[in-house]
Amino acid sequence: MATVAFQQGLVPLLETNGTSSEHDIPSEVPVEITMSEAPEATTDVVDDGAREQSMPVTDADALSPVPQSTATTTNNARVPITVTKPTPYTFDLGNLLCNDPNPLPPSAALTEADLASTARDCAQALLNQLLTACPITRTPDGVALTLPPPTTPLPREKPIPVEKPMSKWQAFANKKGIKGKKREGKMEYDEASGEWRPKWGYKGTNKDGEGDWLVEIDEKKEKRKREGGEDEGDRRKEGREERRERVKRNDRRMRANEKRSGKAT
Amino acid sequence: MLRQVKPRNARSKRALEKKSPLITENAKTTLFLRYSTCSEIVQLCLTDLHSLKRPFAVKFTKKNTIHPFEDPSSLEFFSEKNDASLLVYGSHSKKRPHCVTFVRCFDWKILDMLELYIDSDTFRTLSQFKNAKAGAGLKPLLSFSGTAFESPTANAYTLAKSIFADLFKGQDASSIDVEGLQYMIHFSVGEEVDGQPAPKIQMRCYLIKTKKSGQSLPRVEVEEMGPRIDFRVGRVREAEEGMMKEALKRPKQLEPKTKKNIETDIIGDKVGRIHLGKQDLGTLQTRKMKGLKRSRDADDETLVDEAIDDAKRSRLLDAE
Repeated sequence: MATVAFQQGLVPLLETNGTSSEHDIPSEVPVEITMSEAPEATTDVVDDGAREQSMPVTDADALSPVPQSTATTTNNARVPITVTKPTPYTFDLGNLLCNDPNPLPPSAALTEADLASTARDCAQALLNQLLTACPITRTPDGVALTLPPPTTPLPREKPIPVEKPMSKWQAFANKKGIKGKKREGKMEYDEASGEWRPKWGYKGTNKDGEGDWLVEIDEKKEKRKREGGEDEGDRRKEGREERRERVKRNDRRMRANEKRSGKAT
Repeated sequence: MLRQVKPRNARSKRALEKKSPLITENAKTTLFLRYSTCSEIVQLCLTDLHSLKRPFAVKFTKKNTIHPFEDPSSLEFFSEKNDASLLVYGSHSKKRPHCVTFVRCFDWKILDMLELYIDSDTFRTLSQFKNAKAGAGLKPLLSFSGTAFESPTANAYTLAKSIFADLFKGQDASSIDVEGLQYMIHFSVGEEVDGQPAPKIQMRCYLIKTKKSGQSLPRVEVEEMGPRIDFRVGRVREAEEGMMKEALKRPKQLEPKTKKNIETDIIGDKVGRIHLGKQDLGTLQTRKMKGLKRSRDADDETLVDEAIDDAKRSRLLDAE
């Protein structure tokens, strides 16, 4: 097994991390992996404390403002950047997915090097496809690619939401073509006090008339009440009673709407 | 089903709305669980997968006596309570050593399950690779190599591909910064050979390094960073037809609105159709032919006289 050889002879290329010895690992699993297992990395791995990544340059002649990684040797020889395989790859760029239908040797004969090279080819092909097929936008934050919608069919986690039936007011408004206005907000300017006060809620202007010491009696209402034989009630509380009744009516209507939509779903 | 929580304030109402069915869904959360017996390797594997899937992952520490293939109701309860539609359940027994079960849910019910056994010899954790890792929450590049993943008949490998793609794809994004393409998860399957045991699914995670190539596209190099896991395929529970069909349905709102009466030619020209109404030929404006105007009661003689008069007039005019 290749793993045994690594334990014995090779000095690790990278600085050893103290935490590896504290790690509880069963005896069959070796402690350290050296980076020489990946053959492609040998030229540029020196000190991996900093993550090396250079920005992929679409136009090689353009001056890239991003500095090159310090450890890479500037290799201007023509390295292959395209991948050709007997069966071409298929891509799902929306999911950053690459399908490689080329057959691999059977599991017994597969080595890490094989896997790494296949993976490198897939990565190269996928990056090439992304950089050529997706529209690129350069923003001050960075270079962004616009991805197409994903094509592999993956199941949702929850069913599609059911359309709720419209409430009576919504149906009416749609029929009449009434659209709501949105701009005003809660506060309004009150001329009498010269302040900005909320329209409703705590210290709202809708409660202004209710606390007056002087209440005007509406003659017609009084006559109707006396004729109807109704109890007169406290005239001062009329405004407040009306507001409470409006609130109750609204609650009743909302509950009826909920019941109607609850029955439908 | 859990009891329905009635929201008492705006914050709980918002939380409830996030969990409800939506047209465009959030990223799927994954729940990691253990059985009462669970080997060291499986625990390390769960920890590594959890760190790969942050922040969309929840990890339970307690042991649970659940047998997913016999009675998954407990898993369904956990999935609903934690709003997690993907579950990874680790266990270890003599009959099924180092077993990890991947469970996918739809509408808080089990959709499908896949049982995989980890190969203890080749397993390597994240911490055993001494290099800097990719940031959390990034979208990985995914690749599947091998003919088994592409087989036309649905088999364990196609199910594995679907589940892994779902598990690792991260958040759906319409655009991505090039800096965010940092790592790749590569799954490979060797060729199937008759007589030998079924091929293993080999999962490797690589950091993507790009180098200047002197040409327009960069040269890509990969450096292994992540957990190295080889899976052997175990039991499979496929999804029910009806449930899968329901799950794959796409809401109508997401389909792009096609404008009526606009088509694209074979050549690629955009062609539009305009529908005019039926034309009333009686009201057509034509050229005025005064000579053709006749009253209905006119005799032939008068016609002839008029013709002679016209002829005379024209001769006189010519003479002048």
